[in-house]
Amino acid sequence: MSLQPAGMGSSLTKSVAGRTSTRTTQSGPERWVDDHGDILYRYALERVRKPEVAQDLVQDTFLAAVKSYDRFAGQSSVRSWLCGILKHKICDYYRKLGRETSFTDLEFLQDECAEKFVPEGYWVHMTGPKEWRPEADEVMHRNEFWQTMRDCLSKLPERIAAVFMMREMEEVESKEICKTLSISESNLWVMLHRARMALRECLATNWFENPEVKH
Amino acid sequence: MVQEHRNWLQLRIVLLICRFTPTCPEVVRILSEGMERKLSLGMRIKLRIHFLMCSFCERYMKQLKYIREVSSKFPEKIGDVSEAKLPDDAKERMKSALRA
Repeated sequence: MSLQPAGMGSSLTKSVAGRTSTRTTQSGPERWVDDHGDILYRYALERVRKPEVAQDLVQDTFLAAVKSYDRFAGQSSVRSWLCGILKHKICDYYRKLGRETSFTDLEFLQDECAEKFVPEGYWVHMTGPKEWRPEADEVMHRNEFWQTMRDCLSKLPERIAAVFMMREMEEVESKEICKTLSISESNLWVMLHRARMALRECLATNWFENPEVKH
Repeated sequence: MVQEHRNWLQLRIVLLICRFTPTCPEVVRILSEGMERKLSLGMRIKLRIHFLMCSFCERYMKQLKYIREVSSKFPEKIGDVSEAKLPDDAKERMKSALRA
């Protein structure tokens, strides 16, 4: 071995190294699809709703992951690393959505819930908020509750739900959301206010004040 | 909110509070804003006074906080609720895209 010209040895090592790295990058990412695909897809689907869009986002995530694999230092698990990339892809998608305000959004934002208040500006007695028995700890273990939450979220217009989820579920600061979506703070406040109002109403009707739900 | 069974003095007090605090639709808007930034001291006092005569708005505030609390748990819970799976053809498409 020591008699071999130096160049040959190094080229040999290089090609072996090249081959191993090709093998890992090819089988690795393809395994990601089976190992993490469903989880990523669920995550995306909850946030963007349309299956085709969610699938595209997951695929983009895998492709971006392959490109930046060198930078993945393994400090976190592959799954949370992929989730991180997916979050960015979803934000990009929201940003694109942000440019188009649809008619339903406007209608939703302008809905003052007038039927909840009397003209003088107070709650209508019969339909004002009733006491919830918020057994927060108990409710969190009930899958039916999360199902209700999900159904209520799906009734919000897409962009409004997106903003609400970013703020309350991903716990992104409002300034950050404004920057990401290039919207003004007051615009964000209106969207959040309407989302909270509609969600509160929906949770009240379908869970907290629903006689069919056994609390 | 102005109820019939209140006596004269109580009614005057309620009407006075009404004049100096925002109306309920205003209050619920402000309560939501208050979850994004700290409200001024004056406004916080007005809200407290408003709650004295309006338990609906006070409940509304509690419920907004409650929604915030449970929402933060949603991302970890959603995996248990959702049964969505990537369709096989989508998986194949992704694998071949990754191979390319």
